[in-house]
Amino acid sequence: MLVAVTLGFASPAIVRAQDAQTASEPASRAALIEQEEQTKADQLKPAEPGKAEAYVSRISDAFLSGQMHWHAFWQNAYSGGGFTVGAGYLTHVSSYNLIDIRGSITPSGYKRLEAQFFAPELFARHGTLSLLGGWREATAVNFFGIGQATHTSSLTNYGFTQPYFAANLTVMPTRQLFVLGGGFEVSQWKQGAGSSDASPSIETAYTPATLPGLGASPVYYHSQGTVAIDSRTSPGYTRRGGYYGVTAHDYTDKDGAFGFDQVDYTAIQHIPLLREAWVLAFRAYAQTTYIKTGQQEPFFMMPSFSGGSDLRAYASWRLRDLNSLLLQGEWRAEVNRFLEMALFYDAGKVAHDRSNLDLHGMKDDYGIGFRFHGAISTPLRIELAKGNEGFVLNFSASQVF
Amino acid sequence: MQAILRPRFVAIVLLVAAAATVSSAGRRFYDDDPIARVPERQSAANAKELDIDLFFEYAYNLFVNAERTPSNVRAGNINTIDEVPDSSWFINRIGTTPMTAAQVARGVNSDTPPAPEKWTLLREKSAGTNPGFTARDANGQTWFLQFDAPEFPEGSTGDVEVSTKLYYALGFNQVETFVTTFDPARVEIDPKATVKRPNGKRTPFTQDDIRRVLERSARNADGTYRASAGRLLPGKVIGSFRYQGTRSDDPNDLVPHENRRELRSLRVFGAWTDLVDLKAGNTLDTLVDENGRAIVKHYLQDVGSSLGMANNLHEWDMGWEYYYDGPATKKRLLTFGFALSPWQTVPYVEYPSIGLFEGDEFDPTTWKPQTPVLAYMEMRPDDAFWAARKVMAFTDDLIRAAVHTGQYSNPAAEAHLASVLIKRRDKIGQAYLPAINPIVNPVLRDGGRLTFENAAVAPGFAEAPRSYRAEWFTFDNATGATRSIGHTDSATPAMTAPSLPSGVGTYIEVDLSADSPTHASWAKPVKTYFRLTSGGWKLVGLERLP
Repeated sequence: MLVAVTLGFASPAIVRAQDAQTASEPASRAALIEQEEQTKADQLKPAEPGKAEAYVSRISDAFLSGQMHWHAFWQNAYSGGGFTVGAGYLTHVSSYNLIDIRGSITPSGYKRLEAQFFAPELFARHGTLSLLGGWREATAVNFFGIGQATHTSSLTNYGFTQPYFAANLTVMPTRQLFVLGGGFEVSQWKQGAGSSDASPSIETAYTPATLPGLGASPVYYHSQGTVAIDSRTSPGYTRRGGYYGVTAHDYTDKDGAFGFDQVDYTAIQHIPLLREAWVLAFRAYAQTTYIKTGQQEPFFMMPSFSGGSDLRAYASWRLRDLNSLLLQGEWRAEVNRFLEMALFYDAGKVAHDRSNLDLHGMKDDYGIGFRFHGAISTPLRIELAKGNEGFVLNFSASQVF
Repeated sequence: MQAILRPRFVAIVLLVAAAATVSSAGRRFYDDDPIARVPERQSAANAKELDIDLFFEYAYNLFVNAERTPSNVRAGNINTIDEVPDSSWFINRIGTTPMTAAQVARGVNSDTPPAPEKWTLLREKSAGTNPGFTARDANGQTWFLQFDAPEFPEGSTGDVEVSTKLYYALGFNQVETFVTTFDPARVEIDPKATVKRPNGKRTPFTQDDIRRVLERSARNADGTYRASAGRLLPGKVIGSFRYQGTRSDDPNDLVPHENRRELRSLRVFGAWTDLVDLKAGNTLDTLVDENGRAIVKHYLQDVGSSLGMANNLHEWDMGWEYYYDGPATKKRLLTFGFALSPWQTVPYVEYPSIGLFEGDEFDPTTWKPQTPVLAYMEMRPDDAFWAARKVMAFTDDLIRAAVHTGQYSNPAAEAHLASVLIKRRDKIGQAYLPAINPIVNPVLRDGGRLTFENAAVAPGFAEAPRSYRAEWFTFDNATGATRSIGHTDSATPAMTAPSLPSGVGTYIEVDLSADSPTHASWAKPVKTYFRLTSGGWKLVGLERLP
């Protein structure tokens, strides 16, 4: 009987009948099939997913139900910290609002520990609010000197710790396109010696007289406002649209020694070609600083290039000065829905005077990159960049721009 | 999936296959062959709800199924004349019985569309990408409402209407759907209505929840919203069906789903309508009472990811590539995207209500859903032939009748959609009907006059062959033994038999082939079997590809 029944699973009915006769001979085709159904009825088992599917299902259910509390956290304390491991615990405190407590550490001792309250649906889903408090430590931040003409041989390093509390409100009056942002932060930067073995600590090469802010611990009241037009599908991954924005910062030093203002200008445009087979992506980013009368801007607050997402073939924080200009272009090719590759070119310049922010004497690089992405995020970006100071292989958990 | 992976199951199948090979004796045809309906006599009352994980299914399809070599196993749910009998899965309609335009346009729908004078919201819409609600109409009937995305007014709602009609006519169990109106001014929230929030908890449905959905929906000029209303299915929902394996708690589910011809044929039907979202989540099993027994009825519940409407504005690759397509990935990786894929250049005539759907560059043999379910992988040429005949049974007028149910406000869009479906239909016929011996509908009349048809020649997809040949045999139904009684040739699909046995209950085998200079595959005969009854010769067997 078993043979006849199972043969019915895998063979056409016309063949199935040939063997049926050797069992108790049914009188008709219908009777034969009913016999098979009866046999199966005697052997019924619950319909359940296999072990692998059940495991995947538990994970996906946890994600979709909002009950996946623990998550990875790849963001390090400060650029240049190297490979980062971290974790966070996220929980909703109401239907939509959540709290995320997270921390990360790097082999070089960069640490970050913070808690964030995030309300994603303020003002009838026109706004978001973030309250962020934490502490971070960077142990070996590169410092090559100030200005465009510094050399790699002048590398020193420094460290800092920083407790911070920040509130940021973002409003999109039309839910798309127009973005208004405002924020206020209180923090204290405690700059100290660097711990890297690869270069001398900064205080061995500079004094407070030769390097503004060396050894300083200013408490900043940092307020900022942003006006922007954002037509990207997502800041984390997009193949079309652009972002054009201006952010004005006011850094008020509680002691009146290191106060300054800063304005950031950002222009990003993605131009899809041939149904997004390729995307030409461009970014121009400028930072300008206005030192408050009688005060200084500490070296560690100056505009700079942090490395992995700007001048990608150069060491992190390779250039610093009061003003900066970054120009980037990418030619991205879609490989599939989850992978794109890119050829890129970066050029950057810092200058003491805004009038010197031109295209002359820029440091530049080029390279190739691969990005594993989803619809709205880029979990992994791998890039090999070549500049006149050598090759750099970058790994990142975010989109370049 | 589970059943397929079990070593014990595989061993049993192999054992049985071996047994089948050595067996040569046994009755081949029963008196009730060919059966028109599969008897489903056992109660499935104990079948419980089964959740099939979407991510697992996608991954399994993309990285396991896509790499499989098709088994070339003949469909397991066909009757002795190579047709799919009616069952809880499938009911023969078009191509088997004549359908009028009115029947196609009506589909499964009853005469009681939703009463949109007042909607009472019960909960959110939990599946699919289009915004919507679960709601009760003014008559107290429960419906699943789905709106159009703002960039595709009339698109999704029209697609659901048209596709539901096509798939119903093709034979699949469908949900009653109607185009209706949703007026926010005439909406109530049921006091018990809740919505699942991101924190995982259900809280009362609010006015803002309505706004949240409507903000993502195409709004009519008068402030109302066009919606597609799907009626709540009768019976108890017990989850979805897989495109492989069987339900171990359903005694009537005997044939592995990947071997069900109607499911394999979704490779053809899906190509025709661009039904890209083939997945368990778009199917539904319900327990229904039939003659006092609980049986599982299987629905192709959501066929709305079709006619170009599954694609958002920037998803040109749907229907052309899987979500992950290894060969295409390698090609683009090695050429920095310069090795273009067809979807990157195919011209579309785009209407907001139609989307990315075309018929000029369409190739049914290379069409791909988002992920390859196993039934899609297992389709054989004889399955495709059967499916293509179903598709070809839609006349231009029947297609236009189905498209008209989409209630498109732009006549040009409606005409365009119909013309694309007609083009794609013809390409399907062209691709699959001449590919194997296309002899169909053999009839042996008293006096020995044999007639048949050529499914590829009749619609003009192939030149008539030089000649047809029939090899005639006596056939012993008890032993399968055959004895030649001659052969006949004809330039037309008709010929006279040699002297045939005359006793009622005797069988003959007639092997029909064709000599075509352009289609060598037609030389492989279609084996047909006739039994002499008191009413004449009756076709009881047909093997196109054994």
